[in-house]
Amino acid sequence: MKRLGFGVLALLLVALPPLLPERHLATFVLLTLAAAVTVGVSLLMGYAGQVSLGQASFYAIGAYTAGLLAVHGTPPLLGLLAAPVIAAVAAVLLGAPLLRLRGHHLAFATLAVQLILLSLLAQADWAGGAIGLQGIPRFSVGGFELRNDLGYAYLSCGVLAIALLVARNVVASRAGRGLRAAATSEVAAAASGVAVGGYRLAVFALSAAFAGLAGGVYAFYLGYLAPGSFPVLLSIEYVVMAVVGGLGTIAGPVVGATVIVLLVQVLNTLGTQPGMPDYAPTVLNYAVYALLLVVCVLFLPKGLVPALDRVRRGSLDKARSIR
Amino acid sequence: MSRPVVEVTGLTVRYAGATALDGVDLAVGEGELVALIGANGAGKSTLVKALSGLLRPHAGTITVRGRLAQVPEGREMFGDLTVDDNLRLGGWRNPEGRRGRDTSPIYELLPELSDLRRRRAGSLSGGQQQMVAIGRALMARPDILVVDELSLGLAPLVVTTLVGHLRTLNTERGLAVLLIEQNARLALDMCERAYVLETGRIALHGAAKDLARDPQVTAAYLGGHVEAGGGLEAGGHVEVGGGQEAGGRLEAGGHASGGHVEAAT
Amino acid sequence: MSDLLGYIVTGLGIGAGFALVASGLVAIYRVTRVVNFAQGAFAVLAAMLTASLLGSGVPHGVAELGGVALGAITGLLVGVVAIGRPGTSPGTSLIVTLGLGVLAYAIEILIWGDQPRSYPGVPGVAEVGGARLQAHYLLIVAVTGPVFAVMAWFFARTDLGKALSACASNRYAAQVVGIDVRRMGLLAFAIGGALGGLAGVLTTPVQQVTFDSDVALIVNGFAAAVLGGLTRPGVALAGGLLLGVAQTLVAGYGGGAYQVEVALVLMLTVMIVQAARTGPVAETAR
Ligand SMILES: Nc1ncnc2c1ncn2[C@@H]1O[C@H](COP(=O)(O)OP(=O)(O)O)[C@@H](O)[C@H]1O
Ligand SMILES: [Mg+2]
Repeated sequence: MKRLGFGVLALLLVALPPLLPERHLATFVLLTLAAAVTVGVSLLMGYAGQVSLGQASFYAIGAYTAGLLAVHGTPPLLGLLAAPVIAAVAAVLLGAPLLRLRGHHLAFATLAVQLILLSLLAQADWAGGAIGLQGIPRFSVGGFELRNDLGYAYLSCGVLAIALLVARNVVASRAGRGLRAAATSEVAAAASGVAVGGYRLAVFALSAAFAGLAGGVYAFYLGYLAPGSFPVLLSIEYVVMAVVGGLGTIAGPVVGATVIVLLVQVLNTLGTQPGMPDYAPTVLNYAVYALLLVVCVLFLPKGLVPALDRVRRGSLDKARSIR
Repeated sequence: MSRPVVEVTGLTVRYAGATALDGVDLAVGEGELVALIGANGAGKSTLVKALSGLLRPHAGTITVRGRLAQVPEGREMFGDLTVDDNLRLGGWRNPEGRRGRDTSPIYELLPELSDLRRRRAGSLSGGQQQMVAIGRALMARPDILVVDELSLGLAPLVVTTLVGHLRTLNTERGLAVLLIEQNARLALDMCERAYVLETGRIALHGAAKDLARDPQVTAAYLGGHVEAGGGLEAGGHVEVGGGQEAGGRLEAGGHASGGHVEAAT
Repeated sequence: MSDLLGYIVTGLGIGAGFALVASGLVAIYRVTRVVNFAQGAFAVLAAMLTASLLGSGVPHGVAELGGVALGAITGLLVGVVAIGRPGTSPGTSLIVTLGLGVLAYAIEILIWGDQPRSYPGVPGVAEVGGARLQAHYLLIVAVTGPVFAVMAWFFARTDLGKALSACASNRYAAQVVGIDVRRMGLLAFAIGGALGGLAGVLTTPVQQVTFDSDVALIVNGFAAAVLGGLTRPGVALAGGLLLGVAQTLVAGYGGGAYQVEVALVLMLTVMIVQAARTGPVAETAR
């Protein structure tokens, strides 16, 4: 069943982009990148029981890493590979002290980290300051340059696929089982010999690497970066996508990101209709995130994927709760 | 038995699937001292929570005529509040409003508390805390006091003092007491009637002095000393006397209050 | 020297705003164990309404009261959604308040647009020990002091305040004596809303407000509150004032750009030190 789901998803990712009209490809790229980041957030929240309100920091770190390297003449492929590495290193350095925190403390700590990063970026002239980093070349490998959106669509699909595969293997591994135990009861997990702290840090770094890699693609895709591209709200959006899709499920992040991005698109189209006030798209955007988050957390605490699973399997084995 | 202040019929309570109480029938008459004994995990505290409306019963009825107050297991102090504030909060639901929150009558009933008024409840000894818990419950002007594990973790001398207070409240104020205890000797000594709860069911019930002589009870709860043979009504049902008036049928989440108001003043 | 004094008084004024936000967080957290992410939104909504009321001719005083009242009502509404459903865990409630904070953005932009707003406060310039500063800062300090005194009196001396403290001290015991802990939680949310609203209403004349000003407020408020473990209003007050003064000094003596970092770094340090002292406490937030 799981395998089939992956097959369908893979097929969709490969077949869909060429069928999409040009103007929707940009949405597809951003959706796929967001899904890749959300895979990490979901892993973090669902398996390690931690809320990060600063995941966009690692997206930004990856983007700036790739962007800065490329601007200074490093081959783009090298920059793209460095993006997840630097993001993960940053996560390890930050995580060592921060992951002692739990619950709302960790949530505020990650938020603080992002605010500090944004403020530092805005003052860093070597990174373009508040105006931003411009003139990032397009992505290229050995003279072959990725010029149109279709290329970036496939590149971001690749990133998402990597994130999903790695996440699935982590979840199935011994470390994954240990983490799940730790998310429920840290004391019990520690008592049974699970190296909770180490696993936690590893997942934190891994989720940062996913975000960093996605950020790298983003840098080449847009060719321009500014602190304003990574607001706190972006971090919250990832949390919403993870929660809506279903924490701790593999398909959840993809479903969550898709549902939300499509909904936002539809509302955007609606909000920009003639006759609508010019603030309508913004208002609708905020309202969608807010209401989805609240409604999901309160009424669908396990998210869409488990809920749909339940409907599909019928109510008979409802008691055998879904993991 | 006199007219019942508390009457429980067919009470069943479940926790997430596990049945903690299974068809319990129990009654306490006005001004009566009743013991409920049973091993750890038998369901005694569950009964207390159901009686005070903190748990929703799965089936059965709980009828409280008058007011019920509980002394919870583990004493449950407001640790960073003063003794006086702990007492005052006991009168939170007292219908007499501000006057009902006057704590001075409690210091007359439990003079040991007078010197502790301004102390933080969390800093008191176990026995002192138990006394505060009793005083706090009395602030609700109850007709029946449900005491969960009176002697738990307390020195014998302290327990004697507390039992003395409960007896006095019973004889002088007509306060009914449902005493929940693991120390069966103490409970059977103090009370007139007793129930034995075993894994969620009433296994035995009858006069306390009969139960004290019952071989089963002595073996299980009194360290095996059989003093004499005696008749015993096993698993029998309580005969319920008295009228049906003003019976507040307790809905879950509600607060136990019904019929008359005047009590230990 | 007179510069220093000026900075300190200005800092106290700004810090008083943080302290009010912080004490709102504390009031809610003590009773419900929920960290309310929407706390900054109360300030923004109150300030926006006050600006509108003043703009349409409502006199000072009344307009500000209207703002604070909106804060309280919003607090109550947030509470109803966040803790109204039986069995909602504090972690879940936290995420709900996060969502409601974002919802507030939508409502604020819808009603007031996305441009910064402000309104005049106490006019003129005051002299304190030779330092010149906007007179309004003195008003902020003069209002905040008594508000904290009244709060202290309320929690320690009134039965309602004691019942709130009882819920904070022992939730189960509160239920045992018949206190409706959920209603007390809602009351705490309303109080938190009023305090947040007051912060917004008081500081807007010296610091204009935008729909997303709430992030700075909540971060500074949380930093101040976390000093006292989120449960001690006195420490939250001291923490807020300290933060305000520290930021003003940093800005005044040249590090203007690093003002934000002061609160953030302080918050991180305090939390990490606290966690190191108490060991990892399992507080699940999901
Ligand atoms: N909150 C709860 N959730 C699940 N099971 C519980 C809960 N409280 C008590 N139980 C179970 O119900 C049974 C009765 O418990 P309790 O009423 O506390 O017993 P007693 O007070 O007689 O020791 C025990 O098996 C206990 O494990
Ligand atoms: Mg018990």
